[in-house]
Amino acid sequence: MINVILTILAPFFGGIVYGIERVVKARMQRRVGPPLMQPFYDFFKLMDKRPIMIHSLHALMGIMYFIAEWFALGVLLLGNDLLIAVFFHVIAVLSLVVGASSVRSPYSVLGALRELMHMISYEPLMVLMVVALYLVVGSFDIKDILSYDGYPILKLPFVFIAFLLTIPMMLQKSPFDVAEAHQEIIGGPEIEYSGPFYEALYTGKWIEYIYVFTFVFLFGGSHYWLGALLVIFAFLFVNLLDNSTARLDFRRMVKFAWGFLIPMAAFNVILLALFE
Amino acid sequence: MGFFSKFRKKSPWILHYNTGGCNGCDIEILSALAPRYDIERFGMLNRGNPKQADILLVTGPVTKNCKDVLRRLYLEMAEPKVVVAMGACAHGGGIFRNFYHVENGVNNIIPVDVWIPGCAPRVEALIDGMVEAIEIWQQKSKEKEYLRDHEKVIKTLGVEDDG
Amino acid sequence: MGVLVALNVVVPWIVALIIFLSKKDVVTNVLTFLMLPILIFTAYLAYIQPHPVLVETPKWLDLLITLYDFGLLGYFLYQGIVRKSGLIAILATIQILFLIIVLIMMPHSQTPNIYVDSVTLMFYLIVAIVGVPIAIFATKYMDYGEKGKHSFVAIVVWFLGVMNLAVSVNNIEWFFALFETTTLASYIMIGFRGDKEAINNSNLALWMNQIGGIAILIALMIFIKVNGVYHFSDLLKHPTIISMAALGFLSLSALVKGAQMPFHKWLLGAMVAPTPVSAILHSATMVKIAPYLILRISPIIKGTLLAKLLIIATGYVFVVAAVIALTQNNFKKILAYSTISLLGLMMLAAAVGTPIAVSASLILIIFHAFAKGFLFVEAGVLEKVFHTKYIEQMRRLIEKAPLTLMFIFFGFLNMTFVPFGTFIGKWMMIEEVSNFLQHGSYILLILYVGAGSAFLSILYMKVLGVSVRKAHGIEKISFVKLPKRFNFVSVWYYVWLLAITIFIAPFIADFIVPIAKSIAGEPEIYATGLTLHMYNSTLYFWQIFGALILLLLIHVLPYFVKFKADIVHPYNCGENFPRHMETWNFECLAKYEGYFVAFSIALFIMVVVLGGGLL
Repeated sequence: MINVILTILAPFFGGIVYGIERVVKARMQRRVGPPLMQPFYDFFKLMDKRPIMIHSLHALMGIMYFIAEWFALGVLLLGNDLLIAVFFHVIAVLSLVVGASSVRSPYSVLGALRELMHMISYEPLMVLMVVALYLVVGSFDIKDILSYDGYPILKLPFVFIAFLLTIPMMLQKSPFDVAEAHQEIIGGPEIEYSGPFYEALYTGKWIEYIYVFTFVFLFGGSHYWLGALLVIFAFLFVNLLDNSTARLDFRRMVKFAWGFLIPMAAFNVILLALFE
Repeated sequence: MGFFSKFRKKSPWILHYNTGGCNGCDIEILSALAPRYDIERFGMLNRGNPKQADILLVTGPVTKNCKDVLRRLYLEMAEPKVVVAMGACAHGGGIFRNFYHVENGVNNIIPVDVWIPGCAPRVEALIDGMVEAIEIWQQKSKEKEYLRDHEKVIKTLGVEDDG
Repeated sequence: MGVLVALNVVVPWIVALIIFLSKKDVVTNVLTFLMLPILIFTAYLAYIQPHPVLVETPKWLDLLITLYDFGLLGYFLYQGIVRKSGLIAILATIQILFLIIVLIMMPHSQTPNIYVDSVTLMFYLIVAIVGVPIAIFATKYMDYGEKGKHSFVAIVVWFLGVMNLAVSVNNIEWFFALFETTTLASYIMIGFRGDKEAINNSNLALWMNQIGGIAILIALMIFIKVNGVYHFSDLLKHPTIISMAALGFLSLSALVKGAQMPFHKWLLGAMVAPTPVSAILHSATMVKIAPYLILRISPIIKGTLLAKLLIIATGYVFVVAAVIALTQNNFKKILAYSTISLLGLMMLAAAVGTPIAVSASLILIIFHAFAKGFLFVEAGVLEKVFHTKYIEQMRRLIEKAPLTLMFIFFGFLNMTFVPFGTFIGKWMMIEEVSNFLQHGSYILLILYVGAGSAFLSILYMKVLGVSVRKAHGIEKISFVKLPKRFNFVSVWYYVWLLAITIFIAPFIADFIVPIAKSIAGEPEIYATGLTLHMYNSTLYFWQIFGALILLLLIHVLPYFVKFKADIVHPYNCGENFPRHMETWNFECLAKYEGYFVAFSIALFIMVVVLGGGLL
């Protein structure tokens, strides 16, 4: 039941998470920060803007991104196979990338290509993480993982660390916010969206928060308090990282993912497979 | 004034453009973002992107090179939008007035709603100006706004198609 | 059954002969069209017969094939001398010598020479459904200023018959003859245009494929020497005592035929030929012999070192070919690299050899055949109607060729995205292999599949991104009138792909599972309604359906949705000069190509030497 509610209200919860994040980030910088409901104020304000666009395809792809992202979350929470949910996320990336590269703006195209770089960095790791969870729990089913008696985190410490460092890539946080890079390419794929169309992307990103932190939650197994702790820890850690690091080149990001994170996760999987 | 318009004042997003000033005003704007003044308290963000911005914050006397750029940025912003001219230069040229290369202020290029005087204005003045801009902004509708001599100017602004 | 097999093989040959002799437009067009229902019907008739069946063949056929072998090799030798290519001549001579040795060594065997099982029948259906439309496409394609239309169509049709025979033979010596015939066919077709580049590339195809032929002959010698058998069905009867070295050589020939690195150049060379050649080589025939061969021997090599090394080598190709494809700018070359890459995945799945992996391999073969045929047909349309060969010419394709772009989009979606067969193959592979990760090669496999699919996705997204690029509004979409035959073929593939994808769960449960069962035992896959189950994982029908609708919307909707909103310029810092961003060719990766190929050679040698137990 709770997963149905979470799926249907995902934009709402995602918005709250984003609001909390903005407050937390501000406090980390010794600022007061915006009110908690700020994302929703932004949402309503954007609703009220005059719609402008480059062309219909571009605007449409933004909306499809939102729908695909929501659907991917639905598959993650309501379906029973994690692997399928991972691959569903690619559809969202597809519409984002096709939309972003359909305009001639250099920032947008550059952002789209960097988005692809993000994808090759985190996609194999996600697959590896799901397989690692399978090795521990013996099932790809999210329900089985959430009713597993042990502590998956204890058996998968390296996978967890690798995933923790992948979250900035998925959520576009520093040091791996290369696709969005607000000071450099002004938001990358999202630059040409405005008003109601930008809203679709804006909310799509909130849903991504829920999507990513659900995966973190799975590391707690049936111990929901542990899962919740891990989520809070991951949340704070990612924000701390975001606040305290500068942006890396996209090559460094890909090298880091392929040279460090993936071998680390694979090492964990090998150890696990050997001793099980 | 619908339901959504009530939330406008809670999330004004800013596009800041320097049209050739001395950067004094820009430093004040940056300090407004910093912890001491923290304008994100009011939901303000510096977006750097005209398509998602609501308030165009212009500093500088508008050099001849910047003229068309300023117009395009203005046109790329979605209505409702407000233009805030900040600093003495933006009010009519300031110390650059009647130089060969300036247009003597923002008002000659795009319609300005709020003026923030000072050289450079203090951050308090900036925030005060923003509050006033938000009030004006709330009165505005989604009607399309035009430049001065819109028909004539728009021809010079076209972006080339790559064919 | 014998009659049906003969029909499936001979009908294309007769049609080819008539087309070749009559050289009339009407005859060519009508016959190719007629062949579609006839071949599908005969293939279907064969499919509903009880199988597997061993078919006895008359004695003279044996003799004929042997004579044909020598004739063929003699022709290769002659071509080597005429074209002044020492390599071809030497390889042909070696083959003739080896063939003589094999014929001297060969004991008499009572086993029938034709073996028709469900894999064979699946290939009949693929050839009929996927292959024949390409011949139809070729009849129109060759009207666009190409010479020798009728002989070209005749060769294409003849080749379909050859493929049908190649997948139904049991005798490995016969298989060698047909293997070499497909080599001949590719040699003729690649060199069809007759210019310098075509001849060079056809020479390349010839000598590379001859290496495969030599490998088969060596395998044959070892089989006869060690085990005294030379039939596939005999090999499967005694899987434990079969010589590993021979199997190693057999898989080497599969790797060559499947254009795996470092032997991938010949398939790339095929793009100088008229596009139907690429379509037919990549989709239904030719390269599919490679996974077919591995599937045949997969019950024997399952779990051995050879299989593990094959997994490492082909998986490596799966990833690396996708990476190299990123650096290409020729549309056909991109498609060729993605074929190489996916062939790697098919062989990898076949080499794993568990029931589910075999099903995954079969699914990949079928879907890849459809999607690649489709994509190459569209590449031909782009080339002939819109004069577009390179990615940089593909800009604004959405305005110029909306329908073709839509089809290309759909073909690309079929290659990696969620509800389509290729995805299901990968999904099955990952889930299956997760069970036995104790061996390093299987962990590598998971990485391969994850990384390779990510690379392929970004490849397709990149190409799509370029072809929808446009500065201002997309208003002037002009639906160019395409020739009817082009539209027929495109819609044919489109509808098939769509239909199979919607009913993918029953399709897998009722069509693929029995085939996989005949090779490797019962896979634990079943369908309830439109929902697919595998072990305890489920692909719900709402997931299949939702993803399908999402993707259909993404690729069809742009032509119909018109938002009412103000049009503005793209953000360009307010400046007025066109800024181009052309960073799609991933230059930074191009410099690694040499290393990739060098490493693949090392893996290749490893497969033969270590896997075959030659040390």
